[in-house]
Amino acid sequence: MVALRQEEMQRLAEKTVSLAQTRGADEAEAFVYQGLTTNVSIERGQISKSSRIIDRGLGVRAILGKATGFCYTNILESEAAIEETVLKALSFAKASKPDEDWRGLPSKKAFSSVEGTYDDRIVELNSEELVEVASAMLDAAEKIDKRIFPIEGGAGSSYLCKAVANSNGVEGFDHGTIVECSLVTIAKEEGKVTPICFEFDIKRKYDINPEWVGKEAAGLTVSALKAKRTETKNIKVIFTQFALQQLLQYTLINAVNADYIQRNQSAFKNKKGEKVASEIVNIYDDGLFDGGLRTWKFDGEGVPQQKTPIIEKGILLNYIYDNYTAKKEGRESTGNAWRAGYLSTPSVEATNFHIIPRNKSPEELISELKDGLLVYYLQGAHSSNPVSGEFSVVATPAWKIENGEIAYAVKGAMLVGDIFQVLMNISELADNERKIGQLISPWVCAENVKVIGK
Amino acid sequence: MEDILSKVIDVAVQKFAVEYAEIRAQKLFKTMLTLKEERVEAAKQGIENGVALRVLVNGAWGFASVGTLDAETLISAVSDACRMAKAASSRLRKPIKLAKAEAVEDKVSMKFGKDPSKISIEEKINTTLSMSKTILGYDSRIKSCTIDYLDLTGTTWFMNNEGTCIEQDKLYVWSRLLATATKAGIFTFSREEIGSTAGYEVFDVETPEIVGERVAKRAVEQLDAKPAKGGTFPAVLGPNVVGVFVHEAFGHLAEADLTLSGSILLDKLGKKIASKLVTFYDDGTIEGAFGSFEYDDEGVPTEKTLLVKDGVIVGLMHNRETAKKFGVEPTGNARAEDFRFEPIIRMRNTVMEPKDHSFEELVEDVKFGYYFKSFRGGEANLDGTFQVGIQEAYEIVNGEVGAPIRNASISGNTVGTLMKIDAVGKDFELNPGRCGKGQTAFVCDGGPHIRVKEVLVGGSA
Repeated sequence: MVALRQEEMQRLAEKTVSLAQTRGADEAEAFVYQGLTTNVSIERGQISKSSRIIDRGLGVRAILGKATGFCYTNILESEAAIEETVLKALSFAKASKPDEDWRGLPSKKAFSSVEGTYDDRIVELNSEELVEVASAMLDAAEKIDKRIFPIEGGAGSSYLCKAVANSNGVEGFDHGTIVECSLVTIAKEEGKVTPICFEFDIKRKYDINPEWVGKEAAGLTVSALKAKRTETKNIKVIFTQFALQQLLQYTLINAVNADYIQRNQSAFKNKKGEKVASEIVNIYDDGLFDGGLRTWKFDGEGVPQQKTPIIEKGILLNYIYDNYTAKKEGRESTGNAWRAGYLSTPSVEATNFHIIPRNKSPEELISELKDGLLVYYLQGAHSSNPVSGEFSVVATPAWKIENGEIAYAVKGAMLVGDIFQVLMNISELADNERKIGQLISPWVCAENVKVIGK
Repeated sequence: MEDILSKVIDVAVQKFAVEYAEIRAQKLFKTMLTLKEERVEAAKQGIENGVALRVLVNGAWGFASVGTLDAETLISAVSDACRMAKAASSRLRKPIKLAKAEAVEDKVSMKFGKDPSKISIEEKINTTLSMSKTILGYDSRIKSCTIDYLDLTGTTWFMNNEGTCIEQDKLYVWSRLLATATKAGIFTFSREEIGSTAGYEVFDVETPEIVGERVAKRAVEQLDAKPAKGGTFPAVLGPNVVGVFVHEAFGHLAEADLTLSGSILLDKLGKKIASKLVTFYDDGTIEGAFGSFEYDDEGVPTEKTLLVKDGVIVGLMHNRETAKKFGVEPTGNARAEDFRFEPIIRMRNTVMEPKDHSFEELVEDVKFGYYFKSFRGGEANLDGTFQVGIQEAYEIVNGEVGAPIRNASISGNTVGTLMKIDAVGKDFELNPGRCGKGQTAFVCDGGPHIRVKEVLVGGSA
């Protein structure tokens, strides 16, 4: 399938909006999305699969009075299909109920400029080159230790484009690239299996390091062997970015979401200006972060992305908004409308949730702990209470730290608490910032976390 | 449609000399609603047509997915898929081979009760609005609710170069209800899901009032719940928790791709891994259940697969690739979310067989322990560590169910825990859910109440 060009995507968005208006919509918005992805997969110790996925489509919001109808389609070849989509959105707007809080689609604003989000070399990457990337990673891992078994992983590249237009004159196009490689491994020894361990590298520019990923994944896995039970007590815990990302996406990131605030689902309601975290904690929602995985010129409804201070020196400053939740409070959107490509209407989401690092290396962080736990990954974070921020999860893989050194791998340890307590108890942040999903963060050390060992 | 698909298969075989080729096509239509409190956020619908092509060349897989049914585009996608396979095969160590599957020609026309595509959007709005009204009207401490609704209807086609050609009608109806309650700084959260492949009549049984009240009641009760103790305790698990325990703690490890990846079950086939009271099935044949279908996405008929019998592991869930490795028949567990994904091994309706105990008998011998009634999420690990989050639980004190407990989870080692099941109830319940393994599958899981001698409880008290 031939990829749509920028002009074609923009013209389609604009044409759809005027068609919707001609057919009777009071307001209309069109969102055109195109994703071209090439993947090479490792399965059970070998590269055995490659795929090419082309997904594109159009989502239309039509508003009648204060009622919204939405329809998407992935049939873009015919005028008739586009017209049908518009008419369906309109008929659903007619059938739906008015929303008294509706204050209109976003108005036109200059888009932000962003850096480090697009690289021609990624667009041109083919499966043969990705096989080389995956292969280098696999070879590096296997050289580390005979006991490891790479169970899955691979290398992939994506070229993503989006165009938006609405009846207030908003129109825009942005495109970006992503390249990644990842390796999931286990190790076996004397009939015992480690939990799954993994490492990855993901970038908007083509500068990933597959050998590093392979080596790190394998090293991590070997060190997870010979795991022991630990005791039940409250100790200091170092969360790596993996563990943090899992925990925060189901708790803290919801707590600053304006939709949660407005609907009485957040412990942060009416807490602006109050201390909600230890004073070394500074967090921004930074939709413009250089090379950020969620950095774009505009959000899911054509509002410029921006950098919003969330927590500074432990004080809660702002929530994140899309157009709807912002207008409900008579304020401006913070550019946090997220969409699942062309398949969904916008909802409030973090862009790059950036926890600002401090000065210590991760090694220093470990060396300062007399008695602690280093937690790489959490099992069951999605079962946290998204409203109260309470969690009860398994830390795996995790390592016991004794007298400033990693003593042994721990198995089956549970961590229990609530995210707001953890925020207050953060005693140090390392300098090793990295990007994972919507999070940009260093390792974080929190005091007094309850660990249930047996 | 068959003409286009067979032309594409012919090109794969004749021009690219593939060892195997399959094509899946879909024409699907979705209706969706999201209600926040009594506000309809938007009434939504979508059209998704597309094709997934999978080929085996030199023993490696190539896959191409395109959102079109246009013949010419599909033929160019074949060359994409073949090129992908060739690239992947360059570093192949062991070529992939497939177990034999009988060629099937079939057209599965479902006899739907209430076809959701024939029900007006107004009626769907009314149904979901009744859910909202029931929840919000239950108690003034309920502060919010979110209702999601989805129905999916349409047709899928499967064809391969071995003579299989299947056309299947598809139907799914799903809804999720979330409610929160607050009181003096305490926030509670409660969730229920409804899912069916039968039709819209699922709402005649699970009416908005019944399900709405169930969600609301839990959110309110949880306001007075106390945290559980942390540590090892005896426990009675309700069918809803047993289902997700079977799915997470055991099921994923018995998906043959994960078994081969090194799950702890690999060297235990044919051996005892559970108390003799334990029998598990993965059953794709339960009429109307959320995880049921006729043929899987490799064209293999679904079946009722026995996994554990009286404590001994006797079977795994297979696709054609893993079936070949184990020298067994494929079990019809290959599923793809849609045309964007390759089929992988997924569960269907995964259940534990009931036995003979009443609920009272299960509880009466417990001096101090917990009754875990309803789950919120769960996750497995290949080393056999499971975690199941709990949204509704109670203390058991001196053989009686007591005060409610909040936000706990249970964990442990799968085999260790299965061995400690010392009594199994005679009731049975099946619950719909969605399972994530890189892509989403609609499933059910279920079972009776059971008692476990001990399980690790993640409680903060």
